Amino acid sequence: METFRFFNWIKEYGWRHLIALIFVTFAVYPILFVATNSIADFANLTNSKLIPEGLTLKHYKLLSSNPLVPYFKWLFNTYKVALIAAFFNVFLGSLAAYAFSRLQFKGRRASLLTLVIVQMFPSFLAFVAIYLLFFQISDIAPFMGLGTHFGLILVYLGGSIGFNSWLIKGFMDTISPSLDEAAKVDGATDFQIFRKIIAPLSRPILVVIFVITFIGIYSDFILAAIFLKDKNLWTVAVGINTVFIDDFNADWGVIAASSVIAATPIAVLFIFFQKQITGGLTAGSVKG
Amino acid sequence: MIYLSMTLSKILKYLFLAVVNSLIVYVVPLALTFESWFFLSLILLIGFLINFVYFTDRFQPMKWILPGMIFMLSFVVFPAVYNTYVSFTNWSTGHILTKTQAIGILEDRVFTADDQKGLEFELYILQDIDLNFYYVANLDSENILFGRAVTDDEIFTSAYATHEPSFFTNDEFSTPDGYYQLSGKEQIANSTILQELSLIIDKNTRAQLYKISVFGASTGRLTSTSQLYSYDEVSDTLFNNSTNTVCPVVIDNFECEGKEIEPGWRVYVGGDNYSKLFSNQRIRGPLGVVSKWTFQFALLSVMFSFAVGLLLSMILNKDGLKFQKIYRAVFILPYAIPAFVSALVWKGLLNPDYGVINSWLGPLYEILDVEPIKWLKTKESARSAILLVNTWLGFPYMFLITTGALQSIPKELIEAAKVDGATGIQSFWRITFPLLMVSISPLLIGSFAFNFNNFTLIFLLSGGGPPIIGSEVSVGWTDILISFTYKLAISGGRGNLFGLASSVTIIIFALVLLISAISFRYTKRLERIYGNI
Repeated sequence: METFRFFNWIKEYGWRHLIALIFVTFAVYPILFVATNSIADFANLTNSKLIPEGLTLKHYKLLSSNPLVPYFKWLFNTYKVALIAAFFNVFLGSLAAYAFSRLQFKGRRASLLTLVIVQMFPSFLAFVAIYLLFFQISDIAPFMGLGTHFGLILVYLGGSIGFNSWLIKGFMDTISPSLDEAAKVDGATDFQIFRKIIAPLSRPILVVIFVITFIGIYSDFILAAIFLKDKNLWTVAVGINTVFIDDFNADWGVIAASSVIAATPIAVLFIFFQKQITGGLTAGSVKG
Repeated sequence: MIYLSMTLSKILKYLFLAVVNSLIVYVVPLALTFESWFFLSLILLIGFLINFVYFTDRFQPMKWILPGMIFMLSFVVFPAVYNTYVSFTNWSTGHILTKTQAIGILEDRVFTADDQKGLEFELYILQDIDLNFYYVANLDSENILFGRAVTDDEIFTSAYATHEPSFFTNDEFSTPDGYYQLSGKEQIANSTILQELSLIIDKNTRAQLYKISVFGASTGRLTSTSQLYSYDEVSDTLFNNSTNTVCPVVIDNFECEGKEIEPGWRVYVGGDNYSKLFSNQRIRGPLGVVSKWTFQFALLSVMFSFAVGLLLSMILNKDGLKFQKIYRAVFILPYAIPAFVSALVWKGLLNPDYGVINSWLGPLYEILDVEPIKWLKTKESARSAILLVNTWLGFPYMFLITTGALQSIPKELIEAAKVDGATGIQSFWRITFPLLMVSISPLLIGSFAFNFNNFTLIFLLSGGGPPIIGSEVSVGWTDILISFTYKLAISGGRGNLFGLASSVTIIIFALVLLISAISFRYTKRLERIYGNI
C-alpha cells in the first residue's frame, strides 16, 4: 500500500518536481556561480568553484581602487543618464497622453496611428544616421554632440516617448471622464485637471513606465557604445564589456564583482515590478 | 505693490520657452559660421513652431504634444529618413567631408621645394616654465628672430617670430629671463619632438632645426613653404604647385597623375551601395549567410524558449503541487538580470580554456576521446552557445506569458473533452494549444522581432565571430543583420562604410515592416478561426 501511494505520488507530482528542479538548476546556476565567485577567495577563473572556500571582499576593493577602470564613475553615469531620460520620458509622455485621451482635435487618430507604426521600429536600427547626425551636431553645438551625455539622453528620449505616450494614454482612457467634467464645470483649466486629477490617478502606470524606461536605458549597449568615446563618460554596459574581455581568466573575480553590482539593483527593481512589467507589455519593448 | 501671480503651468511654459529660445540664439550663429544650412533651417523651423504654438492660443492640444513630438520626430523619424539618404551616398572613411571642406583642407597643405632649402644659421633652443619650446634664430644682426616653435597643425594660427636684438650682448647669447636654454644633450634627448617643430618667420618661410651640436650653438636651416594645391573653380580642378600638374575630379576625389588625393568628399551615388550588396560576390555571399542566420537565430530562439517556458508552465499548472511559488520566483530570475551582464557571465562560463562548462564536460570528452569543444571559436559551437544562452534569457518570459494564458483557459473545456473520451495528449493539441496560440502568438511574433535585432546578445557574447574567411568586409558566422551593420559602420577595421551600412539598415527596415504586417494579418486570422470556441 505504501509503495503504491509512492508511485502514485511520482506519477502525479514527483516527475513534475524532477523537471522543475532541472530547470531551477539551469536558471540559477550561472547567477549563483557569479554571486559566490564575487566574494570567493581565489586567483582566477580556472580554480573558481560554486561553493567558495574562503570569503573575501578583495574583488570589490580591486574594482573600486583601479584608476584604469573607473567603474563607479560608469555606474554614476548610467544612473544619471537613465534617471534623467526616464523622468523626462514620463513627464513629456504623460503630457502627450493627456491630449490624446482628453482633448478633441483634428488629426488625433492619425497621430495615434503614427505612434503605433513608429513604435515598430526600435530607434537604434537607424544608429548609423544617428551617429552621423550627432557627428555633425558636434560642430555646431558641441555640448550636445557626439560623446556627450546630453546628446545620448536626447536620443533615448526620442526613442521611447512615442510608445510610452501610447501606453499612458491607454491607462488614462480608463479613468472616468465624469471626474474631469465636474472639475471643468467648476472652472478648472486643462492643466489643473491634468495636475490635480488625471496625473495623480495615473500614478501606477507612470511609475511602471518610469521603471521600464529606466531598465531599458540602463541595459542599452549599442547607442551608448557609438555615442560615448571618453572612458570617463562610459555607462556600465559599455565599460565592463570593453575593459574586462581582455583577460577573462585573471580578471574573473573582478568581473564577477562588477556583474553583481551592475545587475542587483535592476534585478530587485524587476522582481518588485514583475507583474506590471510583463502584464500586457510585449517583450520587445521591455528588455534591451 | 505689484502682486505677481504665476500658475505652475505658466512657470513651466516660460521656463520651456526660455530654454528653447536661448538654445536657438546660441546655435544659430554657430550654424551660420559652419554654413550648415540644413541644420539652420531645421532649428529655425522647430523654434518657430514652438514659439507659435505657445504664444498663441490657437493650437491648444499641440501645447501638450509638441515637446514629445519634437523628440520623436528629431531622433526617430528623421534618422530613418536620413538613413535612407545616407544609403544613396558614398559616405565612408576618406569621404566624410563635403567637397568645400575637402578643398579647404587640401588648400591648406604646404610643400617645400628642394631648391628653397638653404641658408644655415645659429639656432638656440629655449623652454619656458610650461615646457613649451622656443627658438632663437640668429640670421644676422638685423634678424635675431624669436618665437614659439610649433607643430604643423599650428602653422596657420601661430604668430610670426619677432626681432629681439636684446638677446645678444657683444655677440654672446644670453638666456632671457623666464626661459631655460637646452644643452646639446637635452636637444638630442628631445630630438624626435624638435624635428617636428618650426619657427614661423612669415607666411612662406620657416626656420627648422637642422643639426644638433653638443658644443656651442646648433644649426638651423630656413625652408620656404608654399601652397601645395590651388583649386580652380572655373575648371573644377586642383593644381599641384609642386609637380605643376592639373588634377581633375574623378567622381569623389581629385586625381593627380592617376593617384587619388585624400581626402575625398561625399557624393550621391544612386543605387551603388545596393548593387554592391547584391552583385559583389565577396559581399553578397556573407550577406546571404548573415540574413539566413538572422532568421534562424530569431526563429530558433523563440521556439526553444517557448518550448521550455510552455513545458514549465504546464508542469506547474497542477493543483496541490508543492513549492509552486518558489519555482515561479526562481524561473523569472534570468529575465531580471540585464542582458549585457548575462552575456558577459555566460562568456566566462563558456570560456574553452578556463570555463566551468568545459570542466564539467571534461569526463565526457575523455570517455568519447574527443577534443574539448572550442566554445565560441567555431561556427557550430558559437551558434549553439548563442541559442543556449538566448534560451536561458528568454524562457522566463515565455513561462510568464504561457502561465497567464493557461490559467485563462476555462477548465470546463478540458473536462468536456475528457467526457467525450479525449486523451490528455489529444485535448492538449486540439484544445489547449490552439487556444493558447490565440492569445500568445502576437507576443511570440513580438519576441521574434525583438530577437531579429538582438544586437546586445550577439555582439557581447560572440562579437559575431568566428570570422568568415574570404569576405571583403569584416563579418562573422554568428553576425545578425544589425551587428553586421555595426561592423560595416563602426568597428569593422576596414574604415567606416556608412553608406553601405545604411543600405543594410534599409533591408532591416523592410524586413521589420514585413514581420509586423504578417503579425497583424496572422493575429486577425487566428482570432477568426479560434475566436469563438
